[in-house]
Amino acid sequence: MELLSPGLGLIFWMTLSFGIVLLILRKFAWAPILGTIREREREIAISLRNAQHIKRELEELETLKKQKVAEADKQHQELLVRAKTEAENVLREARIKAGDDAHQLLENARNAIEVQKKSAMLEIKHQIASLSVDMAEKVLQEEFSDKEKNTRFVNGELEKVILN
Amino acid sequence: MHMKGKKRDVFTGLIFTAVFCCVTLSINPLFANAGNIQQTDTVPPPSLTEYAEVADKEPGFDAGKVIIDHILDAYDWHLFDIGPKEISLPLPVILFYEGRFHLFLSSRFDHGYASYKGFRIAHEGPRKNRIIRVLDDGKTPDPEASLLLDFSITKNVLSIFISAALLCLIFISVGKKYKQYGSRAVPSGLQSFMEPLVLFVRDEIALSAIGPKHYERFLPYLLSLFFFIFFNNIMGLIPFFPGGANVTGNISVTLVLAMFTFFTTQLFANKGYWQHIFNTPGVPWWLKVPIPLMPLIELVGVIIKPFVLMIRLFANITAGHMIILGFVSLIFVLGEVSNAFGMAISPLSLVFLVFMGFLELLVAFLQAYVFTLFSALFFGMAVPEEHH
Repeated sequence: MELLSPGLGLIFWMTLSFGIVLLILRKFAWAPILGTIREREREIAISLRNAQHIKRELEELETLKKQKVAEADKQHQELLVRAKTEAENVLREARIKAGDDAHQLLENARNAIEVQKKSAMLEIKHQIASLSVDMAEKVLQEEFSDKEKNTRFVNGELEKVILN
Repeated sequence: MHMKGKKRDVFTGLIFTAVFCCVTLSINPLFANAGNIQQTDTVPPPSLTEYAEVADKEPGFDAGKVIIDHILDAYDWHLFDIGPKEISLPLPVILFYEGRFHLFLSSRFDHGYASYKGFRIAHEGPRKNRIIRVLDDGKTPDPEASLLLDFSITKNVLSIFISAALLCLIFISVGKKYKQYGSRAVPSGLQSFMEPLVLFVRDEIALSAIGPKHYERFLPYLLSLFFFIFFNNIMGLIPFFPGGANVTGNISVTLVLAMFTFFTTQLFANKGYWQHIFNTPGVPWWLKVPIPLMPLIELVGVIIKPFVLMIRLFANITAGHMIILGFVSLIFVLGEVSNAFGMAISPLSLVFLVFMGFLELLVAFLQAYVFTLFSALFFGMAVPEEHH
């Protein structure tokens, strides 16, 4: 029966020590432990919610980025095509212009040559004329009688030369 | 990783085997003692007083006495025996008798064989194994003794002090760690060992039994209760000095714990609880009005609930200690018949002891859980939700 009969001393000391343990642990152990755990759980919940939010935002950004890239790609392509055609145009025009210039230059040269030729011909004509006159003078000095007849003849001959 | 876990399991088994070998060894001198007494029997008959002493010591190995001595509280803490000599830690005896305090060490009683200042540990009678007032001869109980209040620091009291100090030390350091590193740190060390248990008590016991509205008020008590019982259960399983006392298997201890639960229930009870007792809803009126049958049954229930708590913990832990000691004693009981018998039975006993050791570890946790869960359930009944 001693097994089942409680003892006064043990009850007293047990009540005292368990009560003290209860008070100490409540203040110095359970308060910080439970407080921190609760705080951590709250933070985790907030973090999870934030993560969801950020994920959604990121997804939105991703689609926006894709859109932008596609747009830029399209613009780029267009720009490239336009630049190409423009370059081709410039080249063609340049080529045409160069051809024209060359033609003009050739024409000018030809004209200049013609003028030079004409003036040279004129010079030669004068030279020939003066030579002829000199020759005629000499001939005439030789043959005074026939002077008029000779001059007429020479002039007529010269006329033929020039016409040729 | 897997291999490591397996290794550790084997290691734990080894520790248990070693621990129970220690138990076996520490009991061994008792057996040797029995042998000594048998030897003294051949010596010429002792004088009358000597004979009384020998009769007191009981010849042979008495398994029942060994087990009961362990289960019960004691005035000194028996550590081990060296031959016939008992080595024990003397504890302070504090007595209040006839308006005076008497304070002395229990070694004055010489393991219960002597009286001191007219006090003695009773060997029989209703106050067996407790201190009584004796007559001048130092033997016969004083029939005219007045009330003797015994506040001695017994083995169980010291054990409670030790585990209470340990409990405070551990949880204050864990609490400090939480405070120091805040909510963003990953738990480490002791903290990471205790946190799952704390969360278990909070979520599986308090929250599920009391409900989200009121559970936080009872949480400090439930946590303290759980760890106090769990710690003392585990300490009781350690077979040498700081452990080994049968604290949670002592009716006074479980009585105090049950009383704490009882008073907490009554103090926090709201209107719904009292209404449920005195005017139980959903019960025909004739069970309440001429003879208050239902209120009486409910009131009895209020008392029975903590009473059952007290008995359950006490019986479970005491039974566990008894079975373990029984298996150890089996070796010596059979060894008394023949040495070969004792040798033969010891491996079997050891196997059962290891098995029981694991079972008792489970029981240590389970009983702490059950006591706390039932306390939480009673609190839950004391603060019923409004719509109930």
